[in-house]
Amino acid sequence: MSRDALAWCLVAMTAIAVAAIVALVVRNRALGRRKQQAEEALKAELATAQGHLTSVQAELARYKHQFDTTIRQAEEAAEDSTKAVLKGSARFLQSLAAEQMTVLEGIQGKYGNHPVLAELLEVTHANAQMQRKAQGIAVLCGAPAGRRNRPGSVYDVVRNAQSQIRNFRRVEIMQQTGFALKASAVSPVALAVAELLDNAASFSQQDAPIEVTFQRIQKNLCIVIDDAGVGMNDEERQRATALLSGDFVPRLSQLGNQPKFGFPLIGLLARQYGFRVDVTGISRYGGVRAVVLLPEELWTEEQPAPVQEAPAPVSIVRDEQSAPSRPRTVHGLPKRVSRATAPDDQRQPSRTAQDTGRVSGRSRGALGALQRGTISGRTFDSAATEGPQDA
Amino acid sequence: MSDAHDSDPEVELTSALVPFFVITNGRALPPDQQYERTALVTAHQDTAATARTLAPEEQAIMDLVANRMLAVAEIAGRTHLPLGIVRILLAQLEESGLVLVRKPAPRADSKDRELLSAVLEGLKNIGA
Repeated sequence: MSRDALAWCLVAMTAIAVAAIVALVVRNRALGRRKQQAEEALKAELATAQGHLTSVQAELARYKHQFDTTIRQAEEAAEDSTKAVLKGSARFLQSLAAEQMTVLEGIQGKYGNHPVLAELLEVTHANAQMQRKAQGIAVLCGAPAGRRNRPGSVYDVVRNAQSQIRNFRRVEIMQQTGFALKASAVSPVALAVAELLDNAASFSQQDAPIEVTFQRIQKNLCIVIDDAGVGMNDEERQRATALLSGDFVPRLSQLGNQPKFGFPLIGLLARQYGFRVDVTGISRYGGVRAVVLLPEELWTEEQPAPVQEAPAPVSIVRDEQSAPSRPRTVHGLPKRVSRATAPDDQRQPSRTAQDTGRVSGRSRGALGALQRGTISGRTFDSAATEGPQDA
Repeated sequence: MSDAHDSDPEVELTSALVPFFVITNGRALPPDQQYERTALVTAHQDTAATARTLAPEEQAIMDLVANRMLAVAEIAGRTHLPLGIVRILLAQLEESGLVLVRKPAPRADSKDRELLSAVLEGLKNIGA
């Protein structure tokens, strides 16, 4: 009896267990399905979100690009208008400095033996430096460099460059040359050399010499500037080369608070006037060796100046009348013209109009007229045979 | 903008290529009593032993005074340089032992100067 009851109990429990298992399995399956559905829904949502994100990112990039373009245009416009303003004022200073230079020269001639001459020379030096800065800024802003209408010996062009820097006494020109720069190249080359000399002076010790030599290498004439400074490292050299070649033209705003426009200016001048400048060499003192390479289009060989004395007219009257017609070397020495040199006249540096200004202004100030009279009397004949050259 | 660049007239530089202060290398004027107008200058006999390269202006003076005596004022007249500049160059040349300078005879009387000025005026009038 009790055994039956036990058996029934067992059967009932088994049935309950089976039912429970079935119920559990069914529930489990339902859960799995729901999970899958949820996953799919989420995935779809993620995909849409990602799509959104991509389009938003693209939009952002577009805005950024637009923004950059606007900024660049604004910068360029600012650069252009800054340049225009700066160019106007620099050109004003440039012509004023040039005018002042001529005026100062006249005063120096007038007060040639007055103690004030010493101060006048200093004022002229200051003015020459100002002229260089004004020219430099004007050229960087797109104006042309000043123009000279007479050729000048390379030696004198370097001396002109020398006059434009503060410590000009440190510059030593080691030799003369028999070469003259064509008129159009005189001023830009002088300006470029002045910047190089200034660099050499700034990056070496106060008393160290700066040596200038000349070399003719094949069809090029080289002005070589050696300083005893610290030299440049590779990075500086690369940057200098890029600036000097004109490959990299910095904006005005990139020149810094104490603007370093030497190399950009030289690069610009070199490209405009067709010469090359290299500063990668090492000088004999371990500093920088700067070389200005002038192609043959920019220079001519100077006619040899007469070695013997070629007397200049000294009588007061003759100064004004016969001096203008006489040819001169680039150093201002009178030149003999007995040979047939007429076809070369164009290349000949003839300092006429201005020299006469100097002649009359300067010699008039000089007394000693009696002595002059006797000597001019003696040399009158030889001067007269040289005769006027203009034909 | 670029059109404007082309039409820019160039600034003409009419001053001398080499300013005086470079010719004198920034040296000061010698004292007044040195290298007076009438002082006589001549090249030193053995000038062959020149240590340094002379500037063209110095060379021009050397050429002028080679083998003869020339007054300072005369040199100024012939080189077309202001007297002061010539005096600085002469000081430089004398220091390098390239020239000899003989002081002028002391001035007798200040009236001489007036007389000479009058003569000079007369000569100018004749010339004009």
